[in-house]
Amino acid sequence: MATTFPTLLDITRAPIDLNALQAAVTTSYDGAVVLFTGVVRGRTGSDVTDQLEYEAYFEMAVLKLQQIADEMRARFDGIHGIALVQRVGPMAVSEPTVAVAVSAGHRGDGAFEAACYGIDRLKQIVPVWKKETRPDGSSWIEGDYTPAAQDRSPRGAA
Amino acid sequence: MTIRLFATLKDRAGRSEIEIDLPAGATVADLRTRIGEAFPHLAALAARSVVAVNREFAFAQDLVHPEDEIALFPPVSGG
Repeated sequence: MATTFPTLLDITRAPIDLNALQAAVTTSYDGAVVLFTGVVRGRTGSDVTDQLEYEAYFEMAVLKLQQIADEMRARFDGIHGIALVQRVGPMAVSEPTVAVAVSAGHRGDGAFEAACYGIDRLKQIVPVWKKETRPDGSSWIEGDYTPAAQDRSPRGAA
Repeated sequence: MTIRLFATLKDRAGRSEIEIDLPAGATVADLRTRIGEAFPHLAALAARSVVAVNREFAFAQDLVHPEDEIALFPPVSGG
């Protein structure tokens, strides 16, 4: 019988606990865990960001996280545990806003590639938006990806 | 029919939901047109927004039904 590996998907207002995330994806079959964290960047060249505030279409966002986890498992068959966590609400400079964790038997089993795929996909299809506050005011940031038919979940609509 | 709004669209509308009337057999393309007519201040934003029907991406020719959960939002910027 096939082993079922952990999948942790969350859109949360709570601070992301990176140690808990690593523990959640780690099984006795694993020798490697890749953990990616996105944090609030306070300086972009000479531009200053004071904080980011994230909003989600929660009900759809969790379905899209599940779709991404499905896609990761379909593309990288050597990976084991997956965690995809997006925090929402206001966040200060250097705070983690998002985390992707992937475990595998060995580091060469696709864990790096799967984590990279996971964060790239999250930024394309998960309905979350950030509002940037700068010294001169605040504005919503819009992404540059336009969803297409292949971005629908093969599981079907809710 | 209720349309849920997010991010820029919610701020521009000043609320998180708007109501529009659509005839039976209407498509996502019709929905965009109707939103632009009923809420001219949202028209430009709506034209480049993403439509979701029942929590899934929807496209111009897709049908919308009165009981559907409809959402309109800008290209996503999470992460």
